[in-house]
Amino acid sequence: MTEARRPATARPERPSRAKRNLALIGVALLVGWAAATVDVDLGSIPQLPGGLGRVFYEMYLEAGPEWSYLVPAMEAMLESLQIAWVGTVIGAVISLPLGFFGARNVSSGLASNVMRQILNGIRAFPEIVLAIAIFIPIAGLGPVAGALAIGLHSVGTLGKLTAEVIEGIDPGPVDAARAVGGRPLQVQRWGVLPQVLPEIIAFWLYRFEINIRAAAVLGVVGAGGIGFVLSQAISFGRFPRAGTIILVVVVATIAVDMLSGSIRQRIISGAGAKRVRGDEMEQPELVERTAGGIARP
Amino acid sequence: MSSAPSRTAARPAKPRPSFAVPIGLIAFLAISWASLSEAFGIGLDLGALADSITRGGGILGELLAPNWSFLPRTLPAMLETFQMAVIAAVVGCGIALPVAFLASRITAPNLPTFIADRALLSVIRAIPDILYALVFVAAVGIGPLAGIMALVLFNVGVVAKLLSETVDGIDTGPLEAGRAGGANRTQTVRWAVLPQVLPNYVAYSLYTFELNIRASTVIGITGAGGIGNQLFTQYRFFNWENVSVIVVELFVLVFLIEYVSIWLRRRLV
Repeated sequence: MTEARRPATARPERPSRAKRNLALIGVALLVGWAAATVDVDLGSIPQLPGGLGRVFYEMYLEAGPEWSYLVPAMEAMLESLQIAWVGTVIGAVISLPLGFFGARNVSSGLASNVMRQILNGIRAFPEIVLAIAIFIPIAGLGPVAGALAIGLHSVGTLGKLTAEVIEGIDPGPVDAARAVGGRPLQVQRWGVLPQVLPEIIAFWLYRFEINIRAAAVLGVVGAGGIGFVLSQAISFGRFPRAGTIILVVVVATIAVDMLSGSIRQRIISGAGAKRVRGDEMEQPELVERTAGGIARP
Repeated sequence: MSSAPSRTAARPAKPRPSFAVPIGLIAFLAISWASLSEAFGIGLDLGALADSITRGGGILGELLAPNWSFLPRTLPAMLETFQMAVIAAVVGCGIALPVAFLASRITAPNLPTFIADRALLSVIRAIPDILYALVFVAAVGIGPLAGIMALVLFNVGVVAKLLSETVDGIDTGPLEAGRAGGANRTQTVRWAVLPQVLPNYVAYSLYTFELNIRASTVIGITGAGGIGNQLFTQYRFFNWENVSVIVVELFVLVFLIEYVSIWLRRRLV
């Protein structure tokens, strides 16, 4: 149609897809290699739905969940919640000053680089590894080891986030505080802290939500909480009891998530900042990635 | 300063004190006190802890002297961990794509589907990965299959949630154009929605792969394959010098993957 009327404009050339195809081939090769060499018996895959169905049947349908275990399960879940809370408080208290040291605009370039590397190093260890390799040897089996492991890991994640939030502040109030003769600590207190506190408290709450899941898991290695009773119930084949425990984990986790989510929403929108959106908060690098429009296929 | 030309506006009234802050503070202190106390909580006693640091000193000494001759025996398990992470990321992200479209207000075919899918996703996300692994080990036995399945569910939860939120925020113009052009639901999703969210989808997939590397290191503790299995065995026999070899290896692997992923992202831009 148009070619007669507008001979000047040619259809733009299609951008090269070589890179994208190369990446796809690379991924396909990687996946093919992994699937071909992993030690999974292909014959066992068809048994998967049956096995799951059997477990579900024994947990909930055969005799119903073990309701008499509801109270002990709730007590164990409460312990998990307390482990998560204490861990989050430890992480919050330690990470706040470390975050200031890690922020380039507040501390010096060298100090912030060193601090960032330390925080990255801490973050690389999952809570369970910290519990096994450091805190169970020190504090013995029990919830204290779990809380300390969660606390240390949280220092890594929260410190990094705190530093990033501080790097994004408006320099105006800082200059103003300095101009009226504030000492360095006063400048941080009145120029920086009020700007970042709402977002940082929201991060703490979000971290608490994540730590509940971590605390529920730590019991598997003997660091207290509901994971211990669940792994006991499963390894002794007491599926109705395991069913009750899983039910308690799901309900308690969702309830705390909703409560904490609404508090976060209030803190952030009350401060006039941007809307909180789930997981993206935990992974600002993810937001950057998406915002930067990476990986255009 | 200059009080003569006092034509300036009056100082604005101080806002009324909010009760949210003191109430929040009191709640925070009360919960923290209860959680820390011996009677209601976990009983964290700093004095006792300081004493036991010296008791744990011997173990920490062994941890600081890794037994490197153990290293070759960990490599197959390390490889298995990597394979589990790769397979689970691909399968999980594949499943998450349709699940995410059903969980977004914009692309869900009807309200019941939307609500059911959302509810299912929040249940999936409420269960931690290792608890999945425990259940799958009970269902299909010890081995990497149980671990892969646990990671798949974990990935579906993460990617579907993130992606459905991205879909919620898209520009609906192309969608309307597609509908006006007579496209059916699948076609609109394919040509109007997918191109808008594809970069995010790829980013989320890379992100879950990184998460998987971390998660699959520990998931094996339940017997679901990978290095976690070996870590837990050595821990149970108190072979601290072997435990520390595995911990160092994990550290290196996690760092390596992170740097490769950063490099990949730079290349892709």
